[in-house]
Amino acid sequence: MTATDHPARVLVVDDAATVRLYHSEVLTAAGFRVSQAANGLEAVECAMTDRFDLFIVDVNMPKMNGYACVERLRGAAVGSVAPILMVSTEDRSVDAARAYAAGANLYLVKPVDPGRLARLAILLTMATTTDRPGEATP
Amino acid sequence: MSATAPAPRAEISPALTDADFQRFREFFYRRTGIQFANSKRYFVDKRVEACIRESGEDSFAAWFASLRLGLRPDLIQQAINQLTVNETYFLREDYQFDSLLRSVLPRVLADRGRAGRGGPVRILSLPCSTGEEPYSIALRLIEEWPLIADVDVELHAADIDSAVLTQARTGVYGARSLQRVPESWLYRHFTEVGGGHRQLSAEIRSAVTFSRVNVCDTDDVRALDRFDVIFCRNMLIYFDELSSRRAAENLYGALRPGGYLFLGHSESMSRISPIFAPCRLPEGLVYQRPAQGATA
Amino acid sequence: MALVRRTTAAPAAPTSAPADPAALAEALHDPDPERRRAAAVDLHGFAAAVPALLARVAVEDDAAARDAVLTSLAGHDTPAVAEALCAHLGSEDAGLRTAVVETLAAMPCGAVPLLPGLVADPDPDVRILTAMILADLPAPDAELRLVELVSGDTHRNVVGAALAALLPMATAAHAALLRRTRDRFADDPFLRFTIDAALPALAAADEPCAADAAAAAGDAGPAGGSR
Repeated sequence: MTATDHPARVLVVDDAATVRLYHSEVLTAAGFRVSQAANGLEAVECAMTDRFDLFIVDVNMPKMNGYACVERLRGAAVGSVAPILMVSTEDRSVDAARAYAAGANLYLVKPVDPGRLARLAILLTMATTTDRPGEATP
Repeated sequence: MSATAPAPRAEISPALTDADFQRFREFFYRRTGIQFANSKRYFVDKRVEACIRESGEDSFAAWFASLRLGLRPDLIQQAINQLTVNETYFLREDYQFDSLLRSVLPRVLADRGRAGRGGPVRILSLPCSTGEEPYSIALRLIEEWPLIADVDVELHAADIDSAVLTQARTGVYGARSLQRVPESWLYRHFTEVGGGHRQLSAEIRSAVTFSRVNVCDTDDVRALDRFDVIFCRNMLIYFDELSSRRAAENLYGALRPGGYLFLGHSESMSRISPIFAPCRLPEGLVYQRPAQGATA
Repeated sequence: MALVRRTTAAPAAPTSAPADPAALAEALHDPDPERRRAAAVDLHGFAAAVPALLARVAVEDDAAARDAVLTSLAGHDTPAVAEALCAHLGSEDAGLRTAVVETLAAMPCGAVPLLPGLVADPDPDVRILTAMILADLPAPDAELRLVELVSGDTHRNVVGAALAALLPMATAAHAALLRRTRDRFADDPFLRFTIDAALPALAAADEPCAADAAAAAGDAGPAGGSR
């Protein structure tokens, strides 16, 4: 995949700077424009200010955890329909179920293979990024 | 476990390395939510170096270790002070007063209408410092809110520091503080008192109720009764985790359900408390006390 | 003229009657979440209220009320309160887990004595949350415990979390530890990437730190984890 004139925008949400950096590198290399947020509440505020095509959201974060964040991204105040990929260290089926109930599209357990993350990000945004010739992506 | 503060030193180790800058930037972002772009490198370096000199520590590493360990809260305060803009003046961050007039007050009135509630619209400015903020609100309302003739508005202002409250009640300001105030407003609402200073009219001064309040003291804040709008700008950023949470709780209690809270331009509840809901308005973000309780 | 004016009516809320802790503890169970929240705020500073507050932590379902309970508990920075809070680190409720992490990170006196037990907890998720606490705990012990986790834990996600918390405070003295860690998890792209990104920056920082003592004494022993 090559970077387009209007790269898809992804928000990486994790309280660990190391994880934000890692996901950021992987996704930038895959052609995305990456922004970061350090917890769920900051992510909601970012989503209210800018438009994103994809969210990568960690579960365990201070102030607002990932599930609450996803619920608010989907809720009336933000109303995002962009794909949401949750990433977590927890590996229990109850966690995945909670992620989907909150409105996430996918739930992945850390560590996420970089190639897989890039592939999934591209696949998830292909359906929604409207990059038709002659038309600017909003 | 608290350390005695060493005396300020004249020289320190060479200027910040790239690694130092990155570490400090990440710490500051984690703590305050404020991100410094690489283009701000010079700005950050100079101010951090000033902090290190003031602190008496002999290197970035020693200063940063003290900062991180929380052994010297004064260092964090000073760093935040140095790296944020703190000057107070009339019509500072004016877009928020735009938001008040164009977006927040209409919503407040609509909520009151639906709830069948009367009485004055109550607005609080805390910390009010020397009064520029509450008086700015008063001036914007008088000069630019069409409904001011029809709706009663109570303006309250509070600060922990009695000295600034005294200055605020006196209402005398210099050119620097007044530089953004339109000429016509100066003419209508201020009197020259010599030395390039002007005094705000007695009418506007008497329209604001000033009180001494410590925002972390629940009783202090509760004595104020509830507000429709609170301005709490550029204060919470200085508080540590527990104090900022307690202050947020008190501000929550001081708002009517559905009431609005403005923080400073570069502040965010994301580093303080999730009990307020961010609300997107045309002029920017504001926070709201939920109309009903939110589930945990 | 302007209708901006001061009310002349008396202030509404009656105050000044000293709060009755027993009544406030009762109010922690009030059906109205605002009353529960206000009671939790007002119980701040009453040591006798700690058991009642602790009892609410897991069952309070109003976000603002639960936050108030935890903030008031954090004011009692003791090992006993911290230990009671630790029990919730294993909760199924992610919001509760992370709220407790934040609270413990603000209780250095209470949390520090518990750290040896937490870094050795058999549950890797608890050890990960412990790393989160250590990231913000204002105590010199935090760095030592993080070094323990990085050098000895066998679970890659625990090491990852501990590394994330340690790197902001790491110096050149930690470089050897980081290289050993990268070798230990040579197949983990995240740990490799993170350590490779961090090592050049560490070369520039060379202040002595707690890790020197640990390095001088040889590798810290395994810090937990049964995988």
